[in-house]
Amino acid sequence: MAYVATRGGERAIEQAERLYRAQMGPIDAGTVAEIEAALPSLIDRVMGEASLYAPDLAALALAQSGGDLYEALLLLRAWRTTQPRLQIAEVVEPDQGFTHRRISAAFKDIPGGQILGPTLDYAHRLLATDVLQGDTFSPAPVEPARKPAPARHPSLAEWQKEQGLIADKPLQPVEKDDIPDLTREPLLFPAKRAHSLQSLARADTGGMLALGYSAMRGYGNAHPTVNELRLSEVEVMVRHPGGATFSAGRVKTSQAEVVTARGKTDLSIGFCATLGWNEVKVIAGATLDLNAPGAPKNSPVNEEFFLYHTEPVESSGFCIHFKLPHYVTFQSALDNLRAARAKREPAKSPVQTEEPA
Amino acid sequence: MTALAKQPPQLVRTRPLMTLNGISKTYDDVTALDDVSAQVYPGEVLGIVGESGSGKSTFLRLMNLQETPDSGSYHLDLPDLPDNLFTLDRFERRMLCARQIGIVYQNPHEGLLMTHSSSGNVAERLLIAGERRFHVLREKAQSALEASEFPIPRMDAPPIELSGGMQQRVQLAKAIALEPAVLLLDEPTTGLDVSVQALVLDTLKRLQQERRITMVLVSHDLGVIRTMADRVMVMRRGQVVEDGLVDQVFQDPQHAYTQQLVHAKL
Amino acid sequence: MTLASLTENWKAFSYGFLDASAKREMRRKMIKAVAVPGCQMPYASREVPIARGWGTGGLQVTLTLLNKASVVKVIDQGADDSVNAASIRRFLTRVSGAEATWDTLDATLIQSRHRVPEEKLRSDQILILQVPNPEPLRPVEPNMSVARQMHADADYGRLWLTLYEQIVRSGRIMQGAAYPSMVNRRHVMAPSPIPRWDVPKLNMAEHLTILSAGREKRIYAVPPHTSVEPLVFDDVPYKVEDHGHLTCIRSGLKGFFMNEIPQEDGTAAHEVSDSHLGIKAIDRTSGEQVEFGETWYKDGEMQQ
Ligand SMILES: Nc1ncnc2c1ncn2[C@@H]1O[C@H](COP(=O)(O)OP(=O)(O)O)[C@@H](O)[C@H]1O
Ligand SMILES: [Mg+2]
Repeated sequence: MAYVATRGGERAIEQAERLYRAQMGPIDAGTVAEIEAALPSLIDRVMGEASLYAPDLAALALAQSGGDLYEALLLLRAWRTTQPRLQIAEVVEPDQGFTHRRISAAFKDIPGGQILGPTLDYAHRLLATDVLQGDTFSPAPVEPARKPAPARHPSLAEWQKEQGLIADKPLQPVEKDDIPDLTREPLLFPAKRAHSLQSLARADTGGMLALGYSAMRGYGNAHPTVNELRLSEVEVMVRHPGGATFSAGRVKTSQAEVVTARGKTDLSIGFCATLGWNEVKVIAGATLDLNAPGAPKNSPVNEEFFLYHTEPVESSGFCIHFKLPHYVTFQSALDNLRAARAKREPAKSPVQTEEPA
Repeated sequence: MTALAKQPPQLVRTRPLMTLNGISKTYDDVTALDDVSAQVYPGEVLGIVGESGSGKSTFLRLMNLQETPDSGSYHLDLPDLPDNLFTLDRFERRMLCARQIGIVYQNPHEGLLMTHSSSGNVAERLLIAGERRFHVLREKAQSALEASEFPIPRMDAPPIELSGGMQQRVQLAKAIALEPAVLLLDEPTTGLDVSVQALVLDTLKRLQQERRITMVLVSHDLGVIRTMADRVMVMRRGQVVEDGLVDQVFQDPQHAYTQQLVHAKL
Repeated sequence: MTLASLTENWKAFSYGFLDASAKREMRRKMIKAVAVPGCQMPYASREVPIARGWGTGGLQVTLTLLNKASVVKVIDQGADDSVNAASIRRFLTRVSGAEATWDTLDATLIQSRHRVPEEKLRSDQILILQVPNPEPLRPVEPNMSVARQMHADADYGRLWLTLYEQIVRSGRIMQGAAYPSMVNRRHVMAPSPIPRWDVPKLNMAEHLTILSAGREKRIYAVPPHTSVEPLVFDDVPYKVEDHGHLTCIRSGLKGFFMNEIPQEDGTAAHEVSDSHLGIKAIDRTSGEQVEFGETWYKDGEMQQ
């Protein structure tokens, strides 16, 4: 028996997927390698939102999904969650990474110096249409500085704490195995600090920008100043079963601290970090973090509000779920509507329903 | 219209209905209440006056069990209640408030759902107390609105479409729907036109006389207190500077601050 | 003894897709949910290979309960051949080797979106309902932390008030699907967007119902022989959809929940929503031997 919305279900979905994949053609290791090499920023963004640092898997997911970011994320998240958690790496302090870029908007110069590093901030955004005429767009070679910048930098906030500008809150030491893990526990509110930061780290860049931007435009209560923005590479230090600690490799990280002088006697600070280099995300995230304390419930800068609504897998999934048939719920609502209407105007009923047989 | 003539308090029982002892409440670095005590006798109207920020609303919110003080105790002389009501949990507080404590806020937004029907606002209190019969909800909401002299044809209009005076009547109906032991009124007529203010006060006065509801009435307006209250408590900076029978306090104020208040009014 | 004899060979995915730690959490949370009927238990809710909002909550429950002896039925809006039901069923059998069925009577696990089958479920069957929004208080309190506290306090006055308001405004209760219902006289739950027709089927049932919201990370349950009472006023009876008198144009079945199919001439025809029940009726008409289970509704009336 064939039903309107459901004819030939199994075959239809099979063929629909084939149709989609037909536009993309075959995928091989070469395609994946090319994506990984050519699109580092996209790879970084996807790795951050997937909370899985694996450039080759991110490239594979992008290839497999044809570049649909939310599809790529879901592939990676669903793969990640099945992987065993072997151990938790050593804690990384902000000043331990190899710093590639580090800037502060709060001071002209800062201890350790402003390091511009790789950025398009000052590039003129002219589309290189010549490439389409057959020319090659070759970047000019980088000229090394006479004196290389130091690899490590102190945290600016440390200096501000010494100056009494930022409250030096006592550390709450946690055994690293006891750090709450958002991927194994639900996010509840009031959220644990670890959960908030993890949630920001894997949030949707676009969603976070939208809400962060609303705060920056005035829907928040604090105007952010970028205290420190840092792009680094950090060692992932793990413990060998034999006892020795060793580096399992390096990962790229971004972190942002934004401050505001809203506090009575000292600066308030907002923080966000993520895997991969993604500056917009950490600035927007730190701005939300800065605005969160005391935010009214149901405002965009309320922590529950922005963390729930920037979860990329959940929000995108729910959005596309509205494509699924909803005719049972619709039928139920229709029944009420007709009955309520019948009460008002018992004579005419607009849709002729079948008479009882 | 009911006469506004004041009757002497009829102290049916000699035990106070409400007893608050040594209440202190601090917000961050603001001391809203500093060791405040009060007793309210059954059937009487206790007035509280004092300048803005003196802690009157905070005291009332505590009486309504919306908050918990830093120290102090609160007793209601009703069956089956603990010595200190602040030891009740959220659930118990909600049940007690629904049945025994009515409140009218200065700002109707605080006490009403502005886009629900007026009758629904009254019905909510009955629903909290467990009423599950629709026709009873309708009848009781209607009779509470009638007692508050609210025009019944408009009982399903949302407060947002009503005048300030009518909104206060809806709050009042909601507060008295279950015939509570105490009625708390926080500047119920402030912000209303003088003529409307008089009408709402008339209603309150009539209710008080007919039902002998125990009331705590906060106002910065000595005229309102003089019309309504039997006893008065004068507050300043979170403390009680003077209390006594209304006539006595207003005719012969002892504390310099009260003298200033009374003379400013004259 | 060799290392190989002690370990299993590497596989890209575990049996039933979810790894052991995820399944353990699911089992614990399901037991909690059964222990406090109707109370929403937060759980981690792992990502699974279908999109959030497409039944990931139900899927995690089914994946955890599945074994090789299971027989699974998957329906969406009552239909087994709906595209999303087909997709979920294919995934379930692919990762577990379990058998699939369209027949309610043969199933041990029934994962469903928006419907409860019309044939009565037995104590050896588990119904898994996919839930988009587990919070019945969402319309009156969008903030989840506050709503959790309201459940703890059984603070349902606002919810009752919305029913009051609907009657005042429309002359009747306008809540359609997902009708808020009191479970075990303690917790109000959203029974998932099943029609009002289906809610009484959960009351004092023989079977266990598990409701799971993957995106919102909440799981709750109605154990067998547990009361499920739609919130209604004592003097305003609960009304299911007025479908009792409708007849299915394909199968001739009458007295079940129907899909309304608009016709070109301005009228509407109806098809039975429990699609496999319809198929069985057609098969019977064409002379085949088919087994019908007892149904909850008889002649369009709920039998309690
Ligand atoms: N929720 C609150 N948070 C912080 N301060 C408050 C709060 N409520 C009251 N206060 C402070 O407590 C003092 C007393 O306020 P209130 O009780 O509203 O006074 P009144 O009603 O007499 O005008 C004021 O200084 C006020 O700012
Ligand atoms: Mg006040």
